[in-house]
Amino acid sequence: MNPTIEINERVDVVAVYKKRGDIATLCEPYLMRWHGREIKFTELALRHPTVAGKRMIHVFHLSDAANSYRLEFDAERLTWTLISMIPERPR
Amino acid sequence: MKNYRLNPEEPQIMHIDLNSAFASAEQQAWPALRGRPMGVTNRISRECCVIAASYEAKALGIKVGVRRSEAMALCPSFILLETDPSKYTHMYQGLLRIMKDYSSNIKMKSIDEGVLDFHGMQPAMRGRSLQDIGYEIKQRVYAELGDHMRINVGIGPNRFLAKMAAGWHKPDGLDTLDHRNVIDFYKSIQLEDITGIAEAFGARLRAHGIYTPMQFLEANDELLRRRVFKSIHGLHWSNRLRGYEVDDYKTNLGMVGRQWVLSKASNNDDWLRSCLHFLVETVGMKLRYRNVEARGVCVWVSFSSGGGWSDKRMHKASFYANGDIWEKASRLFDRRPKHMVVRMMGVYLYQLTPSTRSQLGLLDDVAKKDDLTKAMDEINDFWGSFTLFSADTLTGTKNVKQKIPFGGTEYFDLLLKRA
Repeated sequence: MNPTIEINERVDVVAVYKKRGDIATLCEPYLMRWHGREIKFTELALRHPTVAGKRMIHVFHLSDAANSYRLEFDAERLTWTLISMIPERPR
Repeated sequence: MKNYRLNPEEPQIMHIDLNSAFASAEQQAWPALRGRPMGVTNRISRECCVIAASYEAKALGIKVGVRRSEAMALCPSFILLETDPSKYTHMYQGLLRIMKDYSSNIKMKSIDEGVLDFHGMQPAMRGRSLQDIGYEIKQRVYAELGDHMRINVGIGPNRFLAKMAAGWHKPDGLDTLDHRNVIDFYKSIQLEDITGIAEAFGARLRAHGIYTPMQFLEANDELLRRRVFKSIHGLHWSNRLRGYEVDDYKTNLGMVGRQWVLSKASNNDDWLRSCLHFLVETVGMKLRYRNVEARGVCVWVSFSSGGGWSDKRMHKASFYANGDIWEKASRLFDRRPKHMVVRMMGVYLYQLTPSTRSQLGLLDDVAKKDDLTKAMDEINDFWGSFTLFSADTLTGTKNVKQKIPFGGTEYFDLLLKRA
């Protein structure tokens, strides 16, 4: 079974910019508003870049201590999209 | 003590292997999946195969190559995700970045394993042992790639023993194999545990009275060369087992190709042609990405009833445009026995030469074709691969999914350009 729930919806995101050691400042989503709910992230599990043609997309895998989320930031259009999620107890 | 003619050199080769790379990357990305039996496959279908399994799944007997139905029978809560190339490429690039900090002589063997050669690197090692460096790399992988990512490190006097050492204690191991302990190691393993000795080679060795790694090591060089391997490979094996380097060579690009296991076996000509046309377009893209042209084309199919068919042809002039490749490949494809149900098919181009796209041809309007190909490649490069494609490949585009390259790492950038 594949527990991934596809969402693909634009969301409001509050991000913070952290300085982690000597590495460049890192953008990290802190909170997301989705369908009237506010979800506060507790873990940035993985961040990696990808491209859609020449458009740079930053992929953020986050957790709110229960569910896991995949958020994408389009660096050209400056939009945040909730791509998918996996619930704590996969269906 | 018996003289096995082992290489007495201090180990200078380090092999690094990401544990269950794709599955670990997914568990790193999705905390909800950690501690659960899961795996990844290229495209989820009823009979798809697991191409990477988490350690929790492996403990239940779900290994690479197990079909989804078998996996679900072994563990009804088994989780299967589709591959995500950009994630694995990120891990690959991270591992490469770390490795480059320790040696200028590194080679990635595949998406999840690489070799560092420390010959001549002693000043940069500042008196540290390879074991110390191995532990430091493990720590950096943990800190920079993710706290769920683990690597095996193997150290040896040649690439073969370093790889064997990396597989000794999985997961998260660090071992050294050299002239001091390799005999005890060989005594503890089976013939097919040796990297590069699978079922067929094992059977061939047994047919000549070689049943164990120790017998393999003790075998006469002439027996290996003249009778078992019937080539210089016999001597290579003799040296390899003793810790002498025989695998440090560069390979030339011999062919460019693509194969595909059909999502459902079929003998529907239109459907098969569309899928083959799509494969041809991906191969054309790879060809131009490597800046080469081909003179030979081969098309092959495997039948669901067993057996297969293939045909190939060499041409006088080299070619690189999708239209030219398709014209040649489709002509070959039409010669197959059309009543047979196809399970798998592929196309590859060979006799590759550096691109001469700037030269003018005598018969065709080469400049026009070159401009068209260049314009199409530029559009696809900007907007993402397969933004622009032949109408004939529409079915293929929907059915054939881009796969993760296991062997080579040459096409990552190309793979990531999909829109």
